Amino acid sequence: MSTVSVITHERAPSDYEALPARPGSFLRFLRETWLLVARGLRTIPRVPTRLSDVTIQPIMFTLLFLYIFGSAIHIPGISYKDYLLPGLIGQSLAFGVIGAGVATATDFGSGVIDRFRSLPVTRLSVISSQVVGQVVEQVLGIAIVAGLGLALGWRPDHNLATVLTLVGLILLGLFAFTWFGVLMGMLLKTPDAVQGIGFAIMLPLSFLAGTFVSISTLPSWLRPIAQWDPLSPFVASMRHVAQGYNATGPWPLTHPVVAMCGWCVVIMAICVPLALKRFATTAAAS
Amino acid sequence: MPSDELVVVTNGLTKQFGDFVAVNDFNLEVRGGTVVSLLGPNGAGKTTIVRMLATLIKPTSGTAKVCGHDVVKESDTVRSLLSLTGQFAALEDNLTARENLLLMARLRGYGRGAAERVVENLIERFDIGEFRDKLVKSVSGGQRRRVDLAASLVVQPKVLILDEPTTGLDPRSRQVVWNTIRELVETGVTLFLTTQYLEEADALADYIVLLDHGRTTAAGTANELKARIGDQRVDVIAADLAGMERLVELLSPRFDVTPNPEQRMISIPAPKEVEDLARVSEALTGVGVEIDEIALRRPTLDDAFLAFTGQPANATNSQNDTGLWTPDLEESHS
Repeated sequence: MSTVSVITHERAPSDYEALPARPGSFLRFLRETWLLVARGLRTIPRVPTRLSDVTIQPIMFTLLFLYIFGSAIHIPGISYKDYLLPGLIGQSLAFGVIGAGVATATDFGSGVIDRFRSLPVTRLSVISSQVVGQVVEQVLGIAIVAGLGLALGWRPDHNLATVLTLVGLILLGLFAFTWFGVLMGMLLKTPDAVQGIGFAIMLPLSFLAGTFVSISTLPSWLRPIAQWDPLSPFVASMRHVAQGYNATGPWPLTHPVVAMCGWCVVIMAICVPLALKRFATTAAAS
Repeated sequence: MPSDELVVVTNGLTKQFGDFVAVNDFNLEVRGGTVVSLLGPNGAGKTTIVRMLATLIKPTSGTAKVCGHDVVKESDTVRSLLSLTGQFAALEDNLTARENLLLMARLRGYGRGAAERVVENLIERFDIGEFRDKLVKSVSGGQRRRVDLAASLVVQPKVLILDEPTTGLDPRSRQVVWNTIRELVETGVTLFLTTQYLEEADALADYIVLLDHGRTTAAGTANELKARIGDQRVDVIAADLAGMERLVELLSPRFDVTPNPEQRMISIPAPKEVEDLARVSEALTGVGVEIDEIALRRPTLDDAFLAFTGQPANATNSQNDTGLWTPDLEESHS
């Protein structure tokens, strides 16, 4: 038995090119985040379940609720289409949390994230790309819901200021809730666990948020939960901005935009530091 | 081509997870251009050491330096000096082989054009051309490993860390990976290799560190360790237990027989290797005992641990180790 086998080989030691000078850390952060986001987006069309999560599923929900419940539910002072669409956008946001969690758990479980972390890339870019990638994915889903809604007769205010406000609020909501999803993905570790626990949390929240029926019609014991559901002000602010429709109830519902922004700040204040901490030590035990 | 530069130096490196000490006072100096292998069963602490070197986890105490840079205080510099190929080929399943490599090259800092040129070189060097545009999830384990190795070499690292590069590969793919590793060594890269296979460490490493339960059990060149582990052995497996007992009776007067009734096997030291094998088979000719198998066997990881610690390696995994190890041992040395 020889100790070190020396074999001859024809191939020359590869000719590497010199790496360009490293840009400043902020530029590196932006560049690396973009590269990693692009990687995530490129995979969407190749994973049928993810594709259907952001396309078929929202289309299905829109059609089902619009035509099955639409004729049975009457909300005074507003057409049901105008009432429903902002709610569906809220529900997309809620389900997006689960999608973000599943994607994060999958990535962390596969060792890909560890490989990125072993590269000389800014660590923040690895996690921010996860968040940004998920936000972009959810924007796609929400755009489909909104587009379908418009095609079927949803009539929001469409002056520029309204549209920009809506887009801004949706992005803020997506950003905050996606951090929660990413944190959940890191804590629960397996996609199955995220799917299970995520649905157990987000499904009730998404139905309680005045999504399909007015919170004021709920039984009195359930009403406070719905009124303080973090999704409720989001849905209410969508309706407020898009249709000028104002919900009644406690402060968060009568000041939905402020309440929603408040919730987003709270969610991020809790989830971002936890996610970053978790990220710094992640997989340490495995 | 070893150099005098100390590329990896660890000093009292220790990692605890709660009460569990995964790595205990690990000390090592690796000179440039050499191949060092951490050898041990699952749970010996190999991956934990690798993860500390690759700046993925922080040591509980002690230090580790790569080219003089501390893995904790100067982690970013360390990351630019080393490349890690983890235990589970860490590639994006839903990108093609080429897309994965391009991503790695871009993340290492190459511009688009340079990245494409680097990747073309790698595709040729690692024979990836045939499946370059296939999604990684649909290529074979051996092909995946090649992409994985190539992904670690989009730059020429000072230290290449390979964490169990052949675990789970069939013998043929293992040979391919070995050849690739040998070629890499010739380009002067310093290689830090972990493995569960004694033979792999033997075939590739200049220096072997035997790990068990987070502690260094023994260290030295392959020859030094082998001198301490002992000789090759001839194993004879009888068709039934009675046959094995008969073999013990027949051979004991002439050989130093160790019976192993559980496996219906007797084991005889074979310092003269094939010559001893011939002597044993001659002694068995015409005795009328049905033999299932007779083989010249190199010492396994178990034998090594037996020699150094007096007990087999991590009992639950050792079976698996020898099972995986023995068949392709025959193949690669025949």
